[in-house]
Amino acid sequence: METIEFDIRGQFCPSSLLVALKEVNSRADSLRQGSVRLCFLTDNRDATITIPESASNMGYGVSVEKREGYYCIVISGKKD
Amino acid sequence: MAGDKQKKKSSGPQEGPRSREELQQEVRELREKYANATQYIRRKVNQLLTVMGTAQLRPEELDDAILIELDPIGIVSDSFLQILRNVKETNEQLRTAHDELTAIFDSAGMGILVVDREMRVLAWNKKSEDQFRFDRSVAQGRFCHELLCLVDHREDCPARKAVETGRTCQQDMDLAGRHYNMVATPIKDTAGAVSRIVLVYMDMTERMQAQEELQRSKERYRDLFENSTDLIQVLGADSSIRYVNKAWLDALGYQAEELPRLSIFDLIHPDCLDCGPEFKSVVCGDRDGRFETTFITKQGGKIVVEGNVSAITENDKFMGTRGIFRDITERKRIETMVAAEREQLAVTLRSIGDGVITTDINGNVVLINKVAEGLTGWKQTEARGRPIRDVFPLVDEKTNEPRVSPVEQVLRTGRACELEGHAFLIARDGSRFLITDSVAPIMDRDSVISGTVLVFRDITERRKLEDRINKSEKIESLGVLAGGIAHDFNNLLNAIIGNIDIGKKFSVPDSEVYKSLVRTEKASTRAKELTQQLLTFSKGGAPVKKLAAIGDLIRDTADFGTRGSGVRCEFSLPEELWDAEIDEGQISQVISNLVINAVQAMPRGGTMHITGRNTTVKPGEFQDLKPGNYVNIIVQDTGRGIPQEQIGRIFEPYFSTKEGGSGLGLATTYSIIKKHEGAIDVESIVETGATFTIFLPASPEHAGPVVPPSVADPDEKRTGRILLMDDDELVRETAGVILDLLGYSVDFAADGKAALEMYQKARSSKTPYDVVIMDLTIPGGRGGKDAIRDLLELDPAAKAIVSSGYSNDAVMANYGWYGFKGIIIKPYTMDELSDELRRVMGQKGSSGV
Repeated sequence: METIEFDIRGQFCPSSLLVALKEVNSRADSLRQGSVRLCFLTDNRDATITIPESASNMGYGVSVEKREGYYCIVISGKKD
Repeated sequence: MAGDKQKKKSSGPQEGPRSREELQQEVRELREKYANATQYIRRKVNQLLTVMGTAQLRPEELDDAILIELDPIGIVSDSFLQILRNVKETNEQLRTAHDELTAIFDSAGMGILVVDREMRVLAWNKKSEDQFRFDRSVAQGRFCHELLCLVDHREDCPARKAVETGRTCQQDMDLAGRHYNMVATPIKDTAGAVSRIVLVYMDMTERMQAQEELQRSKERYRDLFENSTDLIQVLGADSSIRYVNKAWLDALGYQAEELPRLSIFDLIHPDCLDCGPEFKSVVCGDRDGRFETTFITKQGGKIVVEGNVSAITENDKFMGTRGIFRDITERKRIETMVAAEREQLAVTLRSIGDGVITTDINGNVVLINKVAEGLTGWKQTEARGRPIRDVFPLVDEKTNEPRVSPVEQVLRTGRACELEGHAFLIARDGSRFLITDSVAPIMDRDSVISGTVLVFRDITERRKLEDRINKSEKIESLGVLAGGIAHDFNNLLNAIIGNIDIGKKFSVPDSEVYKSLVRTEKASTRAKELTQQLLTFSKGGAPVKKLAAIGDLIRDTADFGTRGSGVRCEFSLPEELWDAEIDEGQISQVISNLVINAVQAMPRGGTMHITGRNTTVKPGEFQDLKPGNYVNIIVQDTGRGIPQEQIGRIFEPYFSTKEGGSGLGLATTYSIIKKHEGAIDVESIVETGATFTIFLPASPEHAGPVVPPSVADPDEKRTGRILLMDDDELVRETAGVILDLLGYSVDFAADGKAALEMYQKARSSKTPYDVVIMDLTIPGGRGGKDAIRDLLELDPAAKAIVSSGYSNDAVMANYGWYGFKGIIIKPYTMDELSDELRRVMGQKGSSGV
């Protein structure tokens, strides 16, 4: 499965959410088929709430990992 | 962005030339519109971002140009599309789940009821309706206890507990006569408060009943297992002991906790090592089986057990064995005892001198002892199971008709019985045995007849003996009678014969008187013979025995007897035939009688055989004979034989099959042989002949040469003094005449006393008597037997002749032993008296005789 990484560190919500949603929207089919997953690197705490919640409402599986100084939000396929 | 502005500026409407102000005014207006539009977009974007749950746009974050370029509304609306799609999919899943739940709800094997926290019914499944039979049209909204419990507020209601505790509660309840397991699960709302309760209730009635039944079954099994008196064991595949019952532990003396240390092979008694491999093959599952072994108890005791062992398998895999054994130690001991007893009984039975046959209830032979085997001719193996009438057929002794078996009689009546009279047992080979028997029923412990025991005895020999005793008694009684009259009769005959002799002396031969005297003499001689035969039955007829070569006697007598008949006599009389102690006259009479009978039995002539042989009789060989040496004489004819029914009577006095027969011939024969301490028997087959067998006591000594009788000179004149003692006057007178005629001088005495006085007187006067003739018995006086002692005391050299027609003791047979020098048997002729006197007077007198 292909993982596409977006580094949106330095951006705040809502722009970080809008960027993330734009990328998700443009790859909706690949995500649903499970051939790709998107990984957003962000240092904005609000984004760790807004992006997973929106993605979850859209039916995707989301996980958040805390890394050194930023977060990695992984969006993939359908949620369980 | 700057390019876009320029483009927009150049693409405005081409109108006529306007003033600067106009243009400036239009610019101001346009800027204002643009700003309003941008504000509107920002507001809508912020509205959408708020719906998305995120922060609003900050003016410094995006300028208007970038806002337009970014197109947040497009992004959010695209996201919304996806959210809607997700919602739709989720709804579809929920609907499917709902349908599935409904199906489960209705098809569940247990009742499900959903109530609110006030216990009002919200939903229920089909099973609930079936279980509690409530009307579904009125169920909705009713309190659940109205439908289920039918009582308000049960203390143990699990639904209430679930409401109170917020946790799943479980309770067993009896509702409507059935037993339920109720589970109440609370459903909480988003605030965590219990809003509903799902009640699931499972009908446990059948399961409970099954469990109770299982429990009872277990109890029964346990009771059987633990209270069984048989030893029950279960072994593992490695022969270890898994579990055993109480009887097993008790019998072998172990505690349950000791079992894990034991193997079954620790329990097989060393004496029973032989059965080890066999046992092993069973406990290892190689074969199922029933067998016997001996266990050793913890205390070292022996227990003989018998039982069954079978394999326990699971999926064809051998798991061990189960075995049930019974302690048969006591039974074995009893069996051994019974076997020993049976053996003893069998040995006893076989050793019994009588025949014994036992039968079953149907009269079939069960057991037959050795004597019975010998008599019937049936062996035990052949006789077993056969009807008694086949093995033991009886015919009546007299009628020869078949007789009802006494066994059948006993089986019919249940009472012991004895054979009435006697019967012949017909043996397998046709031979007949006269038997007496008795039959008794065999009763079992309930006094029910289970068979019979027949005991019988061959009395053929006994019967013969009895017959002989009867015969002896008859002859003896006749003998007593005959003896009683013989004394007087002989005295009379003595006088008659003596006087005939005298008459003949005084008459002219061939004269009528002489002829008449000869006829009278003949008749008198016959009378004498008849008297002699009668006397033979009496004790007076005791044989005067001496050792004699019997062969010559037989030959002479038989030759004489067959002379003139058509019968030829063949002899088989070996040289080495022993001599016998016999009265030659009497034995000659015996042979003569037998030969005469044989000749008469063969009127058309024929051959008779006389065989003599030496025989030594062993103890017990013949009932009638003492052990010792005997001469066995067999007289065999080929005449008409003697019918079976007569053969038992032919030795009886006055029994005759011949017309005109006296019936004394064979009776005399019998008597003579008996008095010789011998035996006589007869066998005969009709139309084939008769065989008489005689045994006479023999002696290894040989008789001396036969001295020819002296021939008296009839005209010889004798001298001498004779004293004649006789109580009978006729005898005295007749003898006196005869002695006088012979030339003797004679004196008379009537009894012993007178005779002694006369003898004494004569001796004193120097005219002693040469010979004293003494009558043996003198009724009412002193007879010769007593007088001889006194006489010899007086004169040891006295010569006395004993005279009697009847001897009731041994004196006549052994006269020499008593001191007599001679003997003259009445009635005697003149010649006989003359010969004896001459012989005695010729002897030298000696005091030692």
